[in-house]
Amino acid sequence: MASGRLGKHLKILEFALSSMLRRRMKNAGLVIVFGAVVFLLSSIVFLTSALRAEALAVLEGAPQLLVQRAMAGRHALIPLRYGETIARLPGVGAVTPRYWGYYYDIYTGANYTLLGIGDARLQAPGATALRLVEGAFIAPRQRGVCVIGAGVARIRGARIGGIVSLRDARGWMQEYEVIGLFESPSRLLTNDLILLAEADLKALFGMPDDGATDLMIEVYNPREVANISRKILERLPDARPIGHAEILRTYETLFNWRGGLLLAMFLGAVAAFMILAWDKATGLSADERREIGILKAIGWETADILALKFWEGAALALVAFLAGVTAGYAHVFYFGAELLAPILKGWSVLFPAIDLEPRIEPYTLTVLFLFTIVPYIVATIVPSWQAAITDPDRVMRSV
Amino acid sequence: MVKLRDVTRVYNQGRPNEVRPVDGVSLDIDVGEIAVVKGPSGSGKTTLLALIGCMSRPSAGRILVAGRDVAKLPERFLTEVRRETFGFIFQQLHLIPGISVLENIMLPLYPVDIGFSAAKRRALALIEQLDLAQRRRFKVETLSGGERQRVAIARALINQPRAILADEPTAHLDGGLSGELMRIFGDLRSQGKTLVIATHDPLVYDNPLVDRVFTMRDGRVLDDGDGDGGGA
Repeated sequence: MASGRLGKHLKILEFALSSMLRRRMKNAGLVIVFGAVVFLLSSIVFLTSALRAEALAVLEGAPQLLVQRAMAGRHALIPLRYGETIARLPGVGAVTPRYWGYYYDIYTGANYTLLGIGDARLQAPGATALRLVEGAFIAPRQRGVCVIGAGVARIRGARIGGIVSLRDARGWMQEYEVIGLFESPSRLLTNDLILLAEADLKALFGMPDDGATDLMIEVYNPREVANISRKILERLPDARPIGHAEILRTYETLFNWRGGLLLAMFLGAVAAFMILAWDKATGLSADERREIGILKAIGWETADILALKFWEGAALALVAFLAGVTAGYAHVFYFGAELLAPILKGWSVLFPAIDLEPRIEPYTLTVLFLFTIVPYIVATIVPSWQAAITDPDRVMRSV
Repeated sequence: MVKLRDVTRVYNQGRPNEVRPVDGVSLDIDVGEIAVVKGPSGSGKTTLLALIGCMSRPSAGRILVAGRDVAKLPERFLTEVRRETFGFIFQQLHLIPGISVLENIMLPLYPVDIGFSAAKRRALALIEQLDLAQRRRFKVETLSGGERQRVAIARALINQPRAILADEPTAHLDGGLSGELMRIFGDLRSQGKTLVIATHDPLVYDNPLVDRVFTMRDGRVLDDGDGDGGGA
C-alpha cells in the first residue's frame, strides 16, 4: 500500500516536472523573481548574523566590567586614582588601566583602534584571543614599533619591517615599525586594531600620565557586577561602569537595528513578491484551468491535483530558494555585500572594509525558508484547489 | 447500465440569465449497446453526457450508474465512479499539448495504484491496437486529426472502463475517418463496452451499429430511443 502511494506520487511528481518544462518560460520568470527576493533577504540575514558573530567574537575574553569617565555625558580620560578607590571594593580583583583611542586615517578613510601595550600581556577586550601569525609582540620598554592585524596590513599594504605613519596630537608624523601581524577570531579586530607601546600611544594621543582611557575591573563573582557597578557610582558619580552584558546588548541592538533597517528597505521587494504570489493565487491561466478540468474528467481526484500543484510549487520554490540563498551567500562572503554597501555607509566609516567570516545560522535559514517557500506553495495550491473542487465539465467549458 | 430519472441541470438558477440545458430527462441505456444522443448544437447533448459521466451534478432528478445513485455522491466517490466506469472522448479531444502520445494515454493511470511499468505496458498495448506505434513519442500537437482522435480513444480506454462517452467524435473527421471511428466503436461494443455518443452527424446516428438513438431539443429528450425521433 505504502509502495503504491509512493509509486503514485512518483508518477505525479514526474508529470509535475514535465508540466514545468512545458511552461518553461513562465517558470523561468518566476524562478528569477523569486530567486531575486530570496537573494536580497538572504544577503541581509547573512550580513547581520555575520556582523553579530563578529561582535560577539570581539567580546570573547572581555572583562566583566569596564569603568569609563563621563564628563557632561562625553567620554573623558579616567584618573588612575579612581582605580585605587575601585580596588578597595569587596569582590573586586585586579584593576588595570587601558590606553586606547580611535584614529581616523585620512589615507584609507577608515577609523582604526590604537591600543597601548604596557607589558608583554595584551590588555584589550578580546585581545587575549589574538594570535600572532608573523613576527613578535611588543616587548617591555620597546618603543617605536607596532603590531597590526593581518587585515590592517592588507588594507595599508604593510608588512613586517614596514612603517606605519600616524599623525600625533601636535600634528607631527610619527613612524612605527611593524614587528608583528596577528589574527583573531573576529575579522573586525584583525582589520581595525593597531597595537603600540603604551608610552608611544600616550605620547601620540597627548594623554597625561595620571589618566587612562578606561579601567578594566576583575570581578570575582560575575553575578556581583551590577552590585559593584552601583557601589562604584556611589563613590565616583562621574564614573560610567559598563558591564559585559550591557556591551553585548548594545551590539545586539546595533546589528538587529541595522538588519531591521535593511529589511525595511527591501520591504518593497518583498511586497512585489507577495503581489506576484497573490496574482498567482487569484488567477490560473486558461490553459492551467483547462488542464485541471481534463485531469479531473479522466479520473484524477482533487487530492491528486493538489499533490501535482504542490510538487510544481515546491520544485520551483526550492530551485529559486537554493539559487537565491547561494547567490546571497556569495554576495555577502565573497563579494563583500557590495549591493548593500550604500546602506552600510555609517558602519563602513566606523570600521575599515572587512571580509566577513562565512557562516550560516540554521535558525535564520529556516525562518527565511518558511517566509518565502510556504507562502509561495500556498499561493500555488489555493487557485488549483478552487478549480479542482469545481465540476470538471464547468471548468473545461468556462475556459 | 445508466438510468436517468427526471434529470434537470440549471445554470445561474434564479437569475435573469438562468438556463436549463437539460430539463426533466429520463432515459435508460443498457450494458453493451451503442446509444446515440442526437440533436442540433445547443440542444443539451454535451451537458447530458457530462451528467451521465459524473462530470457534473444534476440540479434535480436521479442518475443511476450500475444501480448506484450518483447524483448526491460526495466528490471523492464521484471521481471513483467516473474513473472506474467511464472513459471520455471530448469534442475538442482535450489532449495535453507538450507531452508525448504515450504520456497523454498514461495520464489517467498516474493517480492509480498501478506501477509505472504496468501502466506503460497497458498504454503500449492500446497504442498498438489503435495503430499509433510509430507516433508514440510524438507530441500530440504534431499529429493529424485522425491520429489525435485515436489518442483520445486510447486515453479513454486505458482505465478499462465499462462505458465510453464520446462527444461529437466525428466533428473534426472526414467521411473516411468517421467510418474508421465507427468501426473502432463497433469493436469496443463487441468487447462488451457500452458507448454513449452525442452527435449531430448522420454518419453516426444512421450507422447500423447504433442500437438506440435519443433525440434532444431544448434540453428535452423527445423519444425513448427505440425509434427515430426526427432528424437533427
